[in-house]
Amino acid sequence: MKVKYLIEKIEGEAELEFDFKNGLVDNVIISFPFYRGIEEILKDRDAMDALVITPRVCGICNHAHLIASVRAIENGLNKAGININLTQKAISLREFTLSCEIVHSHFKWFYLVALPQLLNLDGIEKPDNYILKASWASTNIVKALAIFSGQWPHASYAVPGGVSCDPTYEDIIQAEALVDEVTRFVENELIGMSIDEYHKTKEISNIKGDMSTIFDMMSKKNIEEKGKSYDRFIVFGEHQIFQTGQYNKKYSNDISFAHIKEQIQHNSKAKSVTYKDMCYEVGPLARAIIAKNDFVLNLHNKYKDSTLIRVYARLDETLRLLMYMKSLLANLNVKELSCTLAKMPKAFEANGVGMVEAARGSLIHQSIIKDGKIQKYNIITPTQWNLSSGTQKEAGVAAQAMKGSISVEEATFVFRTFDVCSVCTTH
Amino acid sequence: MVKPTKLKILWLQSITCNGNAHSFFSHPDFMTLIQKFEVIYHPILDSAYSLDDVINKKLACDILVVEGAFRETGMQKANQEIYAIAKSYAKKAKHIITVGNCSTFGGVFRLYDTESIGGFCFNDETPNESYKLFKKKLISLPGCPAHPRWIGNLLSMILSQRQILLDNFHRPLEVYGYNAHAGCPRSEYFEWKVDSKNYGYKEGCLFYEYGCQAPYTHANCNKILWNEVSSKTRVGTPCFGCTEPYFPKKDLWHTNTLMGIPATMPIGVPRRAYLTLTGVAKSFSIKRLNEPIIKYKK
Repeated sequence: MKVKYLIEKIEGEAELEFDFKNGLVDNVIISFPFYRGIEEILKDRDAMDALVITPRVCGICNHAHLIASVRAIENGLNKAGININLTQKAISLREFTLSCEIVHSHFKWFYLVALPQLLNLDGIEKPDNYILKASWASTNIVKALAIFSGQWPHASYAVPGGVSCDPTYEDIIQAEALVDEVTRFVENELIGMSIDEYHKTKEISNIKGDMSTIFDMMSKKNIEEKGKSYDRFIVFGEHQIFQTGQYNKKYSNDISFAHIKEQIQHNSKAKSVTYKDMCYEVGPLARAIIAKNDFVLNLHNKYKDSTLIRVYARLDETLRLLMYMKSLLANLNVKELSCTLAKMPKAFEANGVGMVEAARGSLIHQSIIKDGKIQKYNIITPTQWNLSSGTQKEAGVAAQAMKGSISVEEATFVFRTFDVCSVCTTH
Repeated sequence: MVKPTKLKILWLQSITCNGNAHSFFSHPDFMTLIQKFEVIYHPILDSAYSLDDVINKKLACDILVVEGAFRETGMQKANQEIYAIAKSYAKKAKHIITVGNCSTFGGVFRLYDTESIGGFCFNDETPNESYKLFKKKLISLPGCPAHPRWIGNLLSMILSQRQILLDNFHRPLEVYGYNAHAGCPRSEYFEWKVDSKNYGYKEGCLFYEYGCQAPYTHANCNKILWNEVSSKTRVGTPCFGCTEPYFPKKDLWHTNTLMGIPATMPIGVPRRAYLTLTGVAKSFSIKRLNEPIIKYKK
């Protein structure tokens, strides 16, 4: 039996075509209907224009696109013999602002996606205060981001050689206060315990607050062990807090961009992407597995790559990032230079790759620049890894995860545990 | 007592990045504000109707908010052309708000195919067929994205029936009557024509070399600030003119010059006057403006 379903409020929409056999999902075709042509828009433009245009791929992870974009230019310049060495200040500021965006996005997932969807499954009236909580927490953390980046969404403050801002201690103190406020929110509302207590607790069942509603509902609806896919993970973005590498039955830190392959899919405007011809999951769970986060690894022994651990990894990452953000601010040295590249070369040739970790996983920008102008630009988004329909040999990661679901409702929740972003997937 | 009926908002998206929906969600009083309305559809918030309902039923709506660029054919949702759906709601709505540069002028996404993609009522600065139909109830909030307060304040003004004066692109004057330069902390450097020496300094003006369009961009960003705290020029990034019909221009980080001064003048300033003033200002070398504001001890 085939069932078509228009899934919405996923930063746009997608069409899912389910094939049910014996009451269970046997196959899913995922299609993203619209292509906006960002890569083509960039052709023949000045290399720096990418820093302004590419954030417009996505209203929710625009900052990650900015960082990927500046890294692609810097990588190209380095390869062309123009050495770019960022100061620790510039590195820390980029890490801080990117972390703010990841955390903000996770808040939106908990309160605007997970809770309403789970309560819908159970037919429970949704309290308005989830919207209030999502708005309060995300607004305050992007405010901390904007102190350094000028605005959110769509800042362009990362420039080749560093950042354009020159913060004072006053700015840092204001950002610290916001991080503290948001941390307090997380402790009081999201997990119902202090972060210290959280780190001592080694049981999901001890977590309180709104997260306990999420975990309880998942358990009540028997979906915590659903959503298993290939149990393969990959992380490309280099950051102080994340590790790069891949996991496919065993770990390897030896990964190369050269093994990534993008392929056009006939049913969809989104290209599929593989590593050594295999589908890999990216995102908070991949980051936790590759970093050998012990709590996540313990759960992984029991639950493999199921929905429960995918949701849990997103929570754990939120808490880790908040702590990381605090330490970045505490150690920021305003006396260092913000930008070490004195002058952007004019008619340069470069071929660079920029990889970062965005909220939903590894994001890759690749640019070929001739005579200072963009000849070719290519973007591979995290959601392409997770949400494509896959290859001829195997279904995509999310499509595989939905197999075995008992209903469209259950399958779409599994789908949403990947934190779906339609606009990024097609770009 | 009969409860007064709330104005119904329908937020419809076409070719977009979702940036305006997310920008509005960062409004500091989002919840208080949104509760004054009945949101019949919104791309992020859980709403009473599904997108399928919006497309296939004819729902009642007082305020139509459109986000994203439009094309007559080739941008479908649930097998229907979204431009046609938006226009059918526009006919019935009392107010039409185009949020963001894409829905107002075509924006970034228009560049993919300028023949067929444009704004809801304008293609760049040229009014299109829809403009004739809807100009009486059209309000434009260009920006990439629109500032949360621009959206929030406009909705509140509609609700409280306050006078909303508009410019020739239907942009509210209380927002777009200013230029983005007003309130910039670098304005002293602008007055005395002192360039920034590179990115990453709090000192210096970005208008002369680094592409800043703030003096000729209609917006109050530096008056009300982004996310309550900041703005592009405050963090050393030039203004890219995102509220204007020609956004995004090419070579966004470079200033085109003519006779040694920026090719585009601040709004309403005659070139000759500016040239004379530049000569005078530059003839003084003001020591303070060529030094760091704060010299931290090693």
